[in-house]
Amino acid sequence: MNRIIPLDQLVDKVMAELEKKLPAATTQSTTSLREAARTEPSVDVTGFGELASNVPNPKWEEGLDELIASTPARIGVWRAGTRPLTREMLKFRCDHAAAVDSVYGTVSQSLLDEFGLFTVDTYFENTDNYLKRPDRGRIVTEEGVERIRKNCQMKPQVQVLVSDGLSANAIDGNLRDVYPSLLDSLKAYGLKVGTPFFVRGGRVAVMDHIGDILQPEVLVLLIGERPGLVSSKSMSAYMCYRPRKGTVESDRTVISNIHPLGTPPLEAGAHIGTVLKTMLEQKTSGVHLDI
Amino acid sequence: MNEQLPDPWISSVGIDIGTSTTKMILSRLKLMRTSSAISLPRFDIVERELLYESPIYSTPLKSGDEVDAEQIWQILAKEYELAGIRPEELKSGAVIITGEAANKRNAKQILHLLAERSGDFVVATAGADLEGLLAGKGAGAEDRSKRIRGAVANIDIGGGTANAAIFQRGKPIGTVTFHVGGRLIQVDTGGMIIAVSPSIRPWLDASGYRLEAGQTISFEVLKEICSAMSRNMLDYLTGRAIPDREKPIRALIPGEPLTPVPSVEEWMFSGGIGRLMEEAKPDNLAETAVHGDIGPLLAHTLKECAAQYPIRLVKPDQTVRATVIGAGMQSTEISGATVHLDKSVLPIRNLPVMKLELSSHLLEHPESLAEALAQTMRNGANLYEQDASPPFALALSGLSNCTYFSLQYLSDKLSEGFKTYFPSSGVMVIVCESDIAKALGQSLERRCGAIPKVVCIDQIKVEHGDYIDLGEPIFGTMIPVVVKTLAFHNRVGVTNV
Repeated sequence: MNRIIPLDQLVDKVMAELEKKLPAATTQSTTSLREAARTEPSVDVTGFGELASNVPNPKWEEGLDELIASTPARIGVWRAGTRPLTREMLKFRCDHAAAVDSVYGTVSQSLLDEFGLFTVDTYFENTDNYLKRPDRGRIVTEEGVERIRKNCQMKPQVQVLVSDGLSANAIDGNLRDVYPSLLDSLKAYGLKVGTPFFVRGGRVAVMDHIGDILQPEVLVLLIGERPGLVSSKSMSAYMCYRPRKGTVESDRTVISNIHPLGTPPLEAGAHIGTVLKTMLEQKTSGVHLDI
Repeated sequence: MNEQLPDPWISSVGIDIGTSTTKMILSRLKLMRTSSAISLPRFDIVERELLYESPIYSTPLKSGDEVDAEQIWQILAKEYELAGIRPEELKSGAVIITGEAANKRNAKQILHLLAERSGDFVVATAGADLEGLLAGKGAGAEDRSKRIRGAVANIDIGGGTANAAIFQRGKPIGTVTFHVGGRLIQVDTGGMIIAVSPSIRPWLDASGYRLEAGQTISFEVLKEICSAMSRNMLDYLTGRAIPDREKPIRALIPGEPLTPVPSVEEWMFSGGIGRLMEEAKPDNLAETAVHGDIGPLLAHTLKECAAQYPIRLVKPDQTVRATVIGAGMQSTEISGATVHLDKSVLPIRNLPVMKLELSSHLLEHPESLAEALAQTMRNGANLYEQDASPPFALALSGLSNCTYFSLQYLSDKLSEGFKTYFPSSGVMVIVCESDIAKALGQSLERRCGAIPKVVCIDQIKVEHGDYIDLGEPIFGTMIPVVVKTLAFHNRVGVTNV
């Protein structure tokens, strides 16, 4: 953790220096870069623009473009001597900073209100503790359990949960597309949904604790994934038939990498509905599910 | 997990009825999930296996301008028996009518008859663009282009036409047809001209040759004609000559010339002429007229001519069977596996495509989107039968960054528009490029209720003016699709089959 804060500060310092030194036009673009990083536009998180080749006079330009288009990885970035180009270095740090921000961020309350999701906490206490003690993120606090018992329909056919997990950005960025698409899909299949809510500081296995409390037939948890350098707002959907204390990992089905540049959010929502329906039909999930 | 998965192989037939020959092949295609277990399901054809090749039959003709449908069906029935397969077992494939056979009076009727008798989802195809592409795939030009930097052309030359298809990095970038073929001039071993096809007459006139049936011609003159024909075709393909300026070249191209012609690194020749190139070179009239036409001579003059261009000549994987193998093994695509289907309305054959290109601007501006959709529906209502179920397939591109909000609005406008312009149509078909069909299909169905029924598929790229055939569901989640492309130009001939 202590290594990360200076990195952020370093990026700010470099940017401040650049603003002082570079001509007006460039200054404008670095400023907009900082704004972009703050306001989080829909796709281009960093404001560095489309991935493009930096290789001067490539021997086969179309071939290089083809390779670059085939992966979000940092290829064709070129170098200055033996070092990365400043712009690429900044982009790398910016992506890294975005990843760190996702872990330490919080899900927007207005988003939760929009979908009428009330909040319960796990025993995570704070983010540092959440990172060090995964077990704490698997148990809902006593107060939370009370709230669940008071507000939720018991023994629902389908229980939907949302949790920030390791990326609050993932929820902010994708819930508006995935969640309503999922509800539509469940409705189209005639499945009955219980009372959805939000779990702050949740780990995947929190589904087991909540499964014990509510005893749903199937449960789906939409949770922020560990952020990476390609996307800081990637979401997973973990699904389980009758999750209970002691459920093993192989009993869970997952669809991961849900974000605009990965698994398409709308289609993911619609497909999760189909997976849940199949689980109800086959009365199983995870590796035993035939889909 | 995969124990209960049904048989991943589907059988597929290819039938090619050409100017001079008819042949069929039988193959099987293996479908496998190609996406990881944690992604949305996606299936692809991962293996293609040739099971049976028929001998090459002469295309039976009833008279000069009619193909004998009954005889063709008898040939096929016999071949099905020899191959040990029943039509009901065939789940995909295509019947293609090619070259001059496509211009016969009853071509259209024959295609539909054969397609329906030949299997559950065997589609009828014609049109020189598609023929050229299928031959190019069957000959291996598409595959080859993935392995080299430059473009690869396959020129499939049969009895009546030559179809060139150019591929670059696995993508088709152009097709063009020529009136060049082995049977355009029929001669006997004594040099007497038996027949001259009307399609080559304009070129003969423009080039200053007078040929009439009954006339006797020398080996040298015949060779000169073949040579000039080859040179004109290759000059055009290599961009050395421009058809508008050179009359003979223009007369050699039945449709619109392709402009500009992409530059080619390698070429290959398939079709009957491609095979004749591998045989002995004829040195006199007797050797030329072994099949009663100029075929062997054309093949060898073309081979000599091709060596004079700075383009590598490579051997095709298939020669005379390139088109039929393309039709049987490479015509079928698989839709995305998260789609919205209605089994009761499938299969759907020969559906014309209307395309609407959506942009993020359109998706963010509801009024412009509504206007664009209304415009498309109006055009559709003018062009196609309003009570057909479905009247056309609406292809949507640019939906990869669509939000839930835009999707709802799009569904509202699509269902309203369809009901307004096609009130008595019972089926709506949508084809999306990006992976969104299940979400879109579900929201359309919710709005449409029982009528119209909605078929919404994705991960199929089609262009305005293409025709598509949609097959019955495979494993209940996806369908085979055949895209009959007219992508390069609207051509003469039986394109609307």
